[in-house]
Amino acid sequence: MTSPDLIHELRESRPAAPTDLRARVREIAREESVRVPVRSRFRLPVRRGALVALPAAAALALVSAGAIGLSRSDGSETAALESNGALTLNSSRAPTAETTTQTLSGSDEKRTALDSAVGPTAGRAQRVSATLTVEVKNSDGVSRAAQEALDLTRRLGGHVVSANVVTGEEGSAALTVRVPVDRVQEAVVQLSGLGRIVSQQVKIDDLQGTLDRLDRRERSVQAQIAILVARLDSDSLDATTRARLEARLTNLRGELRTLRRGIAGTNAEARMATVQLAVVTPDSGAVAPASRLDRALEEALNVLVWEGVIVLAILIVAAPFALVAFAAWLGRRLYRRREEDRLLAT
Amino acid sequence: MKLRRTENVHAVTLEAPRTGHAAAPSFAAVAEELLDDVYGYLLYMTKNWAIAEDLTSETFETALRRWRRFDPRRGTHRAWLLAIARSVALDWFRADARRRRREERSGVDALHEEREPAFGEGLSAELQEALRALSAGEREVVALRIVLDLEGEEVARLLGITPTAVSTRLHRALGKLEERMRDHDVA
Repeated sequence: MTSPDLIHELRESRPAAPTDLRARVREIAREESVRVPVRSRFRLPVRRGALVALPAAAALALVSAGAIGLSRSDGSETAALESNGALTLNSSRAPTAETTTQTLSGSDEKRTALDSAVGPTAGRAQRVSATLTVEVKNSDGVSRAAQEALDLTRRLGGHVVSANVVTGEEGSAALTVRVPVDRVQEAVVQLSGLGRIVSQQVKIDDLQGTLDRLDRRERSVQAQIAILVARLDSDSLDATTRARLEARLTNLRGELRTLRRGIAGTNAEARMATVQLAVVTPDSGAVAPASRLDRALEEALNVLVWEGVIVLAILIVAAPFALVAFAAWLGRRLYRRREEDRLLAT
Repeated sequence: MKLRRTENVHAVTLEAPRTGHAAAPSFAAVAEELLDDVYGYLLYMTKNWAIAEDLTSETFETALRRWRRFDPRRGTHRAWLLAIARSVALDWFRADARRRRREERSGVDALHEEREPAFGEGLSAELQEALRALSAGEREVVALRIVLDLEGEEVARLLGITPTAVSTRLHRALGKLEERMRDHDVA
């Protein structure tokens, strides 16, 4: 008998299910209408789920980066002046805030907005620092502006901390001066008038809390010293107790000296404001303030980079586990295959 | 000679694929249509009609439980049901092997209920005998490729092997059958 004959005979004698089995299977099939697993209707195959989830995750990452970029470019504590001269001022300066920063970039006709918004609070110890960049037409303008700034500092009762003036084709000047804190607004206004404002930032750190703490501690130490002195004046103390109290008195007096130095230093810090002035020319490469779109893009890019870093970190951590799981799956599959071959070889 | 046999097998077995089912048939309709296929496959695998009947019932019970998960884009109803049947059969083979090992260990000479094999009405006794002599793996490929007339690719997917391996296994099985039949003729 040849293979075609065998094949013919095998096909002609195809097994047919007996009647009782057919009845049994029909009985099973009748349960179809009864068994409708609700849960399985919503099953999403893994591959199809991944096809949806991956682009969705990427889109979410992009959208969140864009949203964060936009919100950050707005700046909750920054007054930003766009290059076209439109002013947006969003100051969230609270009376109890430890630090307040305000930034202004643009032409000097908007200066008054910042002048009115910024300034030390009377009666509170505050560290005030201002940073200004003004642009003058040429190198001569740089020298003139630097000289005027130095004169102004002296007039206001301040002093120069550092001055660096470069003349030539790309002249520039960098001055750091200290002026009495109650005259810092006047200084900022007048220094801003030296040229076109490129950027302006005023920062106020509240020192009152620190000063109050130092004062309280000073009073407490003074009271303790008075008590100790009174006890040491009595004759009823034994030598050991006296020695212990004297040592403590010495420590407290040392602490009192340190506290007084701290209070004096803080008061000195609060009396004078630091103003940093940069005078530039158009040729000296002063960077124009970025537009809101640029800032938004930059922030969005930063967020995307961070998202990428997080994803990479997760991948690095998960990769060994995934490899182990894959190896286990592969091993199990191989074992099953061999077992099947063995079973079917009988 | 062997090459000619290969050509013949392909010439005989390769037919146009069966048309797929139209708009979502019911489980009852699919069961009715494919019951003979599943039963035939399991009969060839187990060589025992009673076991084949039980496993067929079990296959359809499992299939009903998984009915909602069937995805027609991933294969036909027949391939899906045969995959379930194969899994059920392998489970039975495992249980049977365990049972045999237990019996061997306890020294019990078990009474194996070897019923007269009936691979199909009209098969000669010699061919039945020759089929019994094949391994389960060989009978499986004969059942799928010849009796049920599945495509080589479909069988390969079902068995988790390459189409070439399917062909090789089939040719080996047919060769053994041919040899057995020749021996019978000589005797």
